[in-house]
Amino acid sequence: MSKNPSNLKNIDRLIHEPTRLMIMTQLYVVESADFLFLQHQLQMTPGNLSSHLSKLEKAGYVEIVKEFIEQKPHTALKLTKKGSSAFKEYQRNLKQVFNDLPK
Amino acid sequence: MSYHQDGVLDIFVGVYVLLFGLGISLMTVTEFSTWFVIPAIFPAIMVPIWISAKKRITMPRIGYVKFGSRGANKLMAVFLGLMVAGLGTFMAFSFSSSQAWALTLRNLIISNGMIVIGISSTCISGLFAYTMGLNRLYAYGILTLVLFLAGHFIAIPFGYLLLAIGLVMIINGFVLLTQFIRKYPLPQGDETNVEKSL
Repeated sequence: MSKNPSNLKNIDRLIHEPTRLMIMTQLYVVESADFLFLQHQLQMTPGNLSSHLSKLEKAGYVEIVKEFIEQKPHTALKLTKKGSSAFKEYQRNLKQVFNDLPK
Repeated sequence: MSYHQDGVLDIFVGVYVLLFGLGISLMTVTEFSTWFVIPAIFPAIMVPIWISAKKRITMPRIGYVKFGSRGANKLMAVFLGLMVAGLGTFMAFSFSSSQAWALTLRNLIISNGMIVIGISSTCISGLFAYTMGLNRLYAYGILTLVLFLAGHFIAIPFGYLLLAIGLVMIINGFVLLTQFIRKYPLPQGDETNVEKSL
């Protein structure tokens, strides 16, 4: 049992979901990535990835930028400042939960 | 690093090494020094083709990612470090050319040129392998060392060694390219439509 189980309440459930955690982790380590890149890296179907991205976008964690590269439409995805700080906080909180566990 | 798993880098570096070997071999055979122009002008012609190949082959298959400046800075630091080391060695030899130790060292390097080039090339490819996280560059480095050591002891011409290394890189590059194209087919229409709906 954790000394302070209330720390678990601080865990951001939107990020904690495994697929979204993978998306957030990928976007955290790069400046930006496109849809196809994430799809290959995470081995996900387009529909699944799209639905998780929409949730993250709605929460303001991910910015979806539509642009044209050599006259072709291109969707760039990147973490917003809010998303980046939420991810850092998630890391801190999760570490705290494990640190509080008895050895 | 899927970005360099497409073999395009191997093919282009391989062609460059091959042209270098061809230039040196032809120069030796024909005593016509302008053959050296081939590898000299190669980067100017091939860099735009390399970028175009990446845009047409790699990006449509695995997508596009922009890394932060940390990786690029590391690679730039390696480039600068190598340039400074090269320039430093050149200047050290120039300023101390009349001293006995410099002459002895120079003669030693000249008489063991193949070994020196082999070791230097292995160190350089090892450095790039480590920086770029590309393990096959270690293999190219070891191959270079083995071939140059063999070249030193059984007197294989320098140009032929470069031809062999270039050929191995090109063949490996095409094998990787074939595997890459099979592993990452071009996305179908319905996949891109989902992306557009975002």
